[in-house]
Amino acid sequence: MTSNSKLLGAAALAGVLVLTGCTAGSTSSGNASSGDKRTLTFLTFETPNLDAKYWDAAIARASAKVPGVTIKKLVAPSSDRTGYAKQLDSTGQFPDIMIGLNPAGFAQAGKLVEWSDTDLANYAQPRANTYGGKVYQLPFSTQTTLVYYNKSNFAEAGIDAPPRTYAELLDDSAKLKAKGFNPFVVGGGGKDSWADMFPLMCTVASEVYKETPDWLSQRAAGKVKFTDKAFVAAAQKVADLAGKGYIDRAGLSRSYSDTEQAFRDGKGAMYPMGSWFSASADTKKPSFDTGVFAWPTDQGASALPSNTGGGMTVSSKAPDVELAKKWAKAFMEDTENLNAGVKADGLIIDIKGYAAPDDMGPVYKETVAAYRQAQTANGIVHSFSQETGDGSLPPGLADKAAAGVQDLLSGRMTASQFGTYMDEQWDKATR
Amino acid sequence: MRIRTLTRPARFPATLESSGVAGEGPPTTVPKRSPHRSRRARSRDRLSRFTLFAAPGLLVYLALVLVPVCITIGYSFTNKNPFNPPTRWVGADNLTNLASDDEFLTALGNTVLVTVIVTIATNAGGLAIALLLDRRGWLYNVLRSVFFLPVVLSAVVVSVIWQAILVDDGLLNSMLRRLGTSNPPGWLSDPDLALYTVSWVIAWQGLGFCVVIYLAGLQGIPQELQEAASIDGCGPLMRFRHVTWPMLAPAVTINTVMSLIGGFKAYDQVQVLTNGGPGPGTTSTLAFEVVQTAFNGNHIGYASAMAVAMLVMVAVVSVIALGLLQKREVSS
Repeated sequence: MTSNSKLLGAAALAGVLVLTGCTAGSTSSGNASSGDKRTLTFLTFETPNLDAKYWDAAIARASAKVPGVTIKKLVAPSSDRTGYAKQLDSTGQFPDIMIGLNPAGFAQAGKLVEWSDTDLANYAQPRANTYGGKVYQLPFSTQTTLVYYNKSNFAEAGIDAPPRTYAELLDDSAKLKAKGFNPFVVGGGGKDSWADMFPLMCTVASEVYKETPDWLSQRAAGKVKFTDKAFVAAAQKVADLAGKGYIDRAGLSRSYSDTEQAFRDGKGAMYPMGSWFSASADTKKPSFDTGVFAWPTDQGASALPSNTGGGMTVSSKAPDVELAKKWAKAFMEDTENLNAGVKADGLIIDIKGYAAPDDMGPVYKETVAAYRQAQTANGIVHSFSQETGDGSLPPGLADKAAAGVQDLLSGRMTASQFGTYMDEQWDKATR
Repeated sequence: MRIRTLTRPARFPATLESSGVAGEGPPTTVPKRSPHRSRRARSRDRLSRFTLFAAPGLLVYLALVLVPVCITIGYSFTNKNPFNPPTRWVGADNLTNLASDDEFLTALGNTVLVTVIVTIATNAGGLAIALLLDRRGWLYNVLRSVFFLPVVLSAVVVSVIWQAILVDDGLLNSMLRRLGTSNPPGWLSDPDLALYTVSWVIAWQGLGFCVVIYLAGLQGIPQELQEAASIDGCGPLMRFRHVTWPMLAPAVTINTVMSLIGGFKAYDQVQVLTNGGPGPGTTSTLAFEVVQTAFNGNHIGYASAMAVAMLVMVAVVSVIALGLLQKREVSS
C-alpha cells in the first residue's frame, strides 16, 4: 500500500502539472506535426463581410500552394482579435499566424518575426508600419475612413453635391434634419464601441494630423497633449454635431452590424465608416443609391484618415517559423484571395501589379477614387486610434478613447474634459 | 428502519470478519487478515482508497482553481506586463494603489450596486414566483421549467437576446413607441440607466435558480404546520410570516449567498451589453475591470491585485452573510 500511495501521489502531482501547464504560464505553442504535415494555428476574425466561408476558402487556397502544412483556424470571439491574441498569449497559446493584429506591444516584446526586405519586395508601401525600423506585419492593403451617404435623402433635402468644406457639411446636416432625416448614423454599443470612433477619426485627421502628421509620436515624447487646442477642437466638432442632434444617440446601444443595418434601413443620411463598407454597399445594395465623400476640412484641403497594414504577422515561437512565413505570404499574395478580400471587404490592395477585378461595384470604385485623389493631393494621414507602428496609441488606449467618445456623444463630457481624460488615460497606460 | 438504511448506508466493512457477518453467508475464500496488521496500516488503506476516489476531483480542483489562484496571488505582488519585461517584485504597491484608483473604485461601486439589486430582485421575485407555482398540476410543472430555462442558457446568449430587446430601436422601445411614447428610454445608451438595465438582465437570468430553491423549501414545509396555523385562526399573511418564512430560512441562505457571489462575479452581461459603457466605466464591474486591465492594458500584475482584492471581498461578504443567515436558521 505504501507503494500505491506513492504512485497515487506521483500521478496526482503529474496530473496537476499537466493540467496547470495547460492553463497558466505554459510557453508551449501546443502545436504538433502529424505525419509529414506541420500543424500551424491561424487567428482570424469574422465580420458581416468576412464570414467563415470567406476564411475557409482563403485558407484552402493558401494551403494548396504550401505543401506540408495543416492550418488550424482560430476565430476571435469578437472583432477585437488583438485583445484575444493577448489572452491566448497569456495562457501560452499564442497563435502561429495572425491576420489584422495590431503588432504594438507584441513586436517590442519579441513575440513576432520581422519581415525582411526580400519578403516585402512585392509590397507597394513596405515601410508603412515600422517598429524601430523593423516591419512585423505584411502591409498588404489600405483601409480608409470616408462618409457614405444616401443619395435619395440628399436629393430630397435639396443637396446637389456632397460637401467640400466643413461649413457645407454643417449646412447639409441642417437641411437634412429640417427635412426629417437623421443626418448621421454612428454606433455602436457594447463590445463594438470602437465603431463610435469614426467621426473623431475624421475630425482629428482634419484638425490635428493634417498639420502635424506625427502628432502621436510627439505625444509620446511629451511635446504635445490631448488638452492642446488642436485636439480639443477636433473633439469639439464631434460634441457639436451630437449637441445639435445631427448624430443619433441611439447608436450608443447598437451593435456594429446593427448600425450598418440602420444606415441600410434609411435611419440616417450619412454613415462615416471604413472603406470596407463599400463592398457590402455594392453586393447587398440598399434600397437607395449610395454615394461617398471624404470628410471635409474647414478650407476644403484633403485630410483622409487611412491605415496601411492589416496583413499577416507570424509568431517568433511558431514551431516552424519559415513555413509559417511562407504560408502567410502565400495567403497574402494569392490573387484569388486578394480578389476575394476586395470583393468581401472592399480592400484597397497595396501589392505591386495587382488590379482589382473589373466587375467591382460603383461604391467601391468611388471609394478607391477618393483615396487616390487624396494620395495625389498629399492628403493621406493616419487614422486616429487605428494607427500601428511607432506612432500609435499605447495598448488599451483605443478602447478608453472609444469609451470617452461615448460620453462626448451623450453630452456627459465636454471636449476639454475629453482631452484631460485622454491625457490621464495615456499616463495610466504608459506608467 | 428500511428508509434509514437506504439513506445512510453502513460504512463498507473492511473485512467480512470485522463486519461481524462471518459464517452467516456462504463459505468465503477471502483470506484471513494478519492479526499483526496494525491500526496504522488500516487507516493507510482507508486513506489510499479515499485518495483513489477523490483524486480526479481533487486534481481538477487543484489545477483549475487552487494553482491559478496561487499564481494570481503571486502576480499581484509584481509589475508583470508581458509586453514590458522584466517582471519585478513590487510588494504591496499594487494593492495600495487600488485604494486611490478611480476606475477600480467606480467598478467596485458598480459591482456593489449590481450585487444588491441582483440579490434583492432574485430573492424577492424568486420567492413570489415560487409561492405562485407551489401547486400541483401539469401547467405548474411546465411553468417551473419555463422559469428555470434561463438558468441553463449561456449568459452570453441571454445577453444577446436582451440586447435585441433593449437597444434604442429594439423590440421594447418599438412597442413603447407604438403605445405612444415619443422618446422612450435609452436602456443601454443612457449612462444613468445602463447599470440598472444590466442588473435587470443578470437578475432575470438568476431568477429561475431562486425559484427552484424556494420551491424545494416550500415543499419541505409540513402541511400539518400550515393546517395548525389555520385552525389557530391565522390568515394567509400570518401563516406566511409565522410558518412559511421561518421554515424557508435554509433556502434564503442558499439563495442569498449564491446571488451575492453571482453579483460580484458579473462579467459576461457587461461585456456583451455595454462593454463597460456607455462612457468610461459607467457599467464596469470588478470582473470586467480585471479583464480590461489584464488583456487590454497588459498590466497583468495590477489586474491580479484587483482579482485578489475581489476574491477577498467576495469571501468576506459571503462568510458574513452565511454566518448571519445560518444564525437566523437556528433561531427559526
